[in-house]
This record gives sequence, C-alpha cells and structure tokens, in this order.
Amino acid sequence: MFFQEVTPDTSGYMIAGFVISFVVMGLYVASMYLRSRNLRQDMTLLEEMDQEAQSVAPQKNIAAPAAARPPKTVTKKPAKN
Amino acid sequence: MESKPLTLKVLDIVAILVLVVATYMALNAPTERVMGEVQKVFYFHIGTAWTALLGFILAAVFSVVYLATKDLKWDRLQVASIEVSLVFFLITIVLGSIWARPAWNTWWTWDPRLTTAAVTELIYVAYFMLRQGIDDPDRRARFGAVYALVGGLSAPITFFAIRLFRTIHPVVIGGSNAEAEGGFSMTADMRTAFFFALFAFTIIFIDLFWNRIRLGNLQEKVEQLKLKVTM
Amino acid sequence: MTDKIDTVVEKSVKPDARPRASIRPSASFVKAVSAVVWKDLQAEFRSRELFSAMLVFSLLIILIFNFALELDVRTRQSVTAGVLWATFAFAGTLGLNRSMAIEKDRGCLDGLLLAPVDRSAIYFGKVISNLAFMLIVELIVLPVYSVLYNVNLFQPGLLLVILLGSIGYVGVGTLLSAMSVQTRTRDILLPILLFPVVIPVLLAAVKASSGFLTGSDLADVMLPINLLIAYDIIFIALAFMVFDSVVEE
Repeated sequence: MFFQEVTPDTSGYMIAGFVISFVVMGLYVASMYLRSRNLRQDMTLLEEMDQEAQSVAPQKNIAAPAAARPPKTVTKKPAKN
Repeated sequence: MESKPLTLKVLDIVAILVLVVATYMALNAPTERVMGEVQKVFYFHIGTAWTALLGFILAAVFSVVYLATKDLKWDRLQVASIEVSLVFFLITIVLGSIWARPAWNTWWTWDPRLTTAAVTELIYVAYFMLRQGIDDPDRRARFGAVYALVGGLSAPITFFAIRLFRTIHPVVIGGSNAEAEGGFSMTADMRTAFFFALFAFTIIFIDLFWNRIRLGNLQEKVEQLKLKVTM
Repeated sequence: MTDKIDTVVEKSVKPDARPRASIRPSASFVKAVSAVVWKDLQAEFRSRELFSAMLVFSLLIILIFNFALELDVRTRQSVTAGVLWATFAFAGTLGLNRSMAIEKDRGCLDGLLLAPVDRSAIYFGKVISNLAFMLIVELIVLPVYSVLYNVNLFQPGLLLVILLGSIGYVGVGTLLSAMSVQTRTRDILLPILLFPVVIPVLLAAVKASSGFLTGSDLADVMLPINLLIAYDIIFIALAFMVFDSVVEE
C-alpha cells in the first residue's frame, strides 16, 4: 500500500515450466513410437516364422482353434503392462 | 497391423496445432501482477490436471466394466487411460512445484491439492508395478481393475482428509495461506487462454489415448502371434 | 492344517437332505468365517511366528524413532501419535504379507477355495484374523511406549482410534495382500500398493490420536473418527464385492 511493488521477473521459471511440459510430452510420444516400432518388427519376424512353420509342416499345423484360446504357458518374453 | 485411420492422422495434426495455439495464448496472456510470468504455467498446470483426473475416473469406470464383462478390450482401454493420465499428471505436479517456488519461496507446499496429486501419482505408478509382476493376461487385467478401483476411490478421500485436517505447517515464507490457489483473479484475456488450454489438453489427451489404445491392440496381436508360433 | 480346512468344508454344507437353497445362507457364511478365523488363530497360537516377528519389529521401529527424532518432552507430545502409527503401519505390512504367504505356500488358499462357501467369507475370515494379530501387537506396543516415554497411552479414545484405524488398514491390506502374494514381486509389492491407498487412514488416525492425547475437545476429534468409520465401511464393502475376482483361478 506504500508504493507500487515491482512485478518480480519470474520468466525463467515460466520458460522452465513450458520446456518441461513439452519435453515430457515429447518423450512420451517418442516412447509410444519406439514401442510401436519394436512391436511391428516383432510382428514381421513372427509372421515370417509362422509362414515357415506353415509351409514346412502343414499337416502338423494346429493353427487357429488353438490360437483362439491361448493356453497358460510361459511365454519367452512376458508382456509389459 | 492396419495403418492409422484418417481420423486419427487428422487428430494428430489438430492436437499439435492446438498445443501450439494454447502455448501462444498462454505466453501472450496478460502478466499477473504479484507473481509475474511464472503464473502462465497455470494454464498448462490446470489443463493437464483436469484431463488427467478425468482419465483416472475413466479408468475406474473401465475397471467396473471389465469386471462385469471380462472382455480384455476394457483392460487395454484402462491401461491406455492410466498411462496417459500418469504422464499428464506428472506435468501437473512439476508445474505446480515450479509455480510454488517463486510464488511461495518453496519447491513444495504440502497443501491438499499438490499432496493428493503426489499420492495419486504414486497409486498409479504402483498400478503398473502390480501389472508388471503378473504374466497371465486375465489375472493382470483383474488385479489391475481391482487396484484402479481401490486407488480411484481413495484418492478423493485423501484430498478431503488433507483439506480437513492439515491446517498447520505453512512452510511458506512471504506468501499468504499455502492452500490458496495463488489468489489471483483472472481478466477476460486470461480466461480465454485458460479455457482454450483446457480444450487443447482435452484434444491432446484424446489423441494420445487413441494412439495408446492402438499400441495396446498391436501388443495384444503380437502376444497372440507369439503363442501361436511357439506352440 | 488340512483338518481345519475340512472343518470349513463341513461347516458350510449341512449333511441333511434339504436342498441348499432353503438353508439360511447367513448361517453357513458365519460358520465359514469363524472356521477361517479359528484356523488362523490356532495355527498362530502354535507357532507364534507372525506375532513374534511383528512385535519385535515394532519395538525395533520405536527404538529407531528414538534415535531418528529428538524426542524431548515437548516434541514428544506432538509426535507420539505419528510415531505410533508409523510403527503400526510398518509392522502391519509384515503381518499381512506373512499371513497371506502362509495361505498360499501351504496350499490352504486352494483348499479354502474348493470349499463351497462364498469367497467373501474367506475375505472376512482373513480380515478378522489379521486384525486380531495387529490388535494384539498394538496392545503390547502401547504399554511399552508408555513406559519408555512416560506418557499414558491407555485412554479409551485412543484405543477406539487404534481399533478403527486398524480395521481400515487391515481391510484394504488383506485385499491387496491377496493380490500381491500372487505376483512375482510378492512381499515388496504390498507396501507399494498399500501405503498410498491407506493414507486417509493414517491421516485421520494420527489426527484423532493426537487429539485424544493432547486433550482436544470432542468436536475436533469426531471429524477424523467419522472419516475413519466412513473409510472402513467404504473399503470393506468394496473388498467384499471384488474379492472374488482376486482369488478366482
């Protein structure tokens, strides 16, 4: 009430705030992209393996019905999340 | 895997645009007199907080639906919702801390909002740690659903409890009541920036959420294929 | 152990010819619950492993707090409630972990699940036995703390808070320990799951305990106590509804 106080210069903090927001969001998008890419690579690999298995021994192919109800076997790489 | 639907591609672009506009509006909003520029983080702070909270509530709804239907689709929806909300809420908390520092001369105020936010964040981190320790997808989904419900219920109770009981320990120096929302009133310009930020983060949330769901579906396909091939 | 499980099975199925629907379901439920409780109490009475571990751990925590905090006479007053509840929270996880682990490892859980009882009977049974262990430990810690710090902790108000707080803690803890025991990370996971969710209990309990110890007026103290009661009811009801999903195979 004595005199007009000077508005403090807090722009440094503001910039830090915005930068952090963008960085965190960016990292998350990057993480999703990387995970997606890895999964697609796994997918192509597995599809190849599947094709080989199918062409090599078609009579031993247990195929769709079994895949529809996956047994509770231990998989090599347990799923994340 | 099917390529991205056109709507999603459009949404991606819209999300980026909207983020840029929100940033522009926030940076050009009138500067608050007492705190200075740092107040502008408030737009993103509330934007992310609001959407993250909706995300957590949505997750609790997905819990109930999953437990009722046992359809794993709802589990994937829940994981996506919680993951995105977790990221958003992290931003909320960090911005809250950045705001507190010049405003109240402390990096952390133990006020109800910030504290509950930290507790809530820990609950959902624990959610992922719980899921990490389970291999069976059905069990993982069930346990996740139960914990998301338990956590989702306890977070608001925590907020009210802190608000009712923690009236002591104002660690702030040179600031008024630590529980006050910074105590500034908004001019019309600030209000537009504020509401636009809310709108922007809702769009961004939906975009990230949708993308995350697709990631989850891809994961599921890969898992199925793995089982089929290793048979 | 198996004879106790037989008791659970027996007591839940009446041997006479009447169809099951006309048997009062509450009677078999109560019988199932008491069978579970009795099994746990008897087992614990024989081995005392849970009880001794929790007790010794609690006493050690109090000791640690003595070195960690400067507990002069004045500070003590404001900090006693907190120290007590921190002790109970940590010792409590020990009990909860072991209690469920014993069920799982000895195959009791599977045996119980085979019994034709409502799954929530198992939940209530475990809650009651876990609560019993926790209360017994607390009732021993109280006089020890009273003696060590020359403060009278045997006030009815405080005892009420301890009871209500323990109920909430054990109610949620039993549900979460049933989950954590089925994961790979097991024991480590329970505190991580439990503590964030049980914070309202700790908050309210410390506030109410403090109130009773410093002689605040009743109005101040009733608020946290009401919160404790509300929390207990809400979460036990929730656990009752979801426990099935947690133990089904």
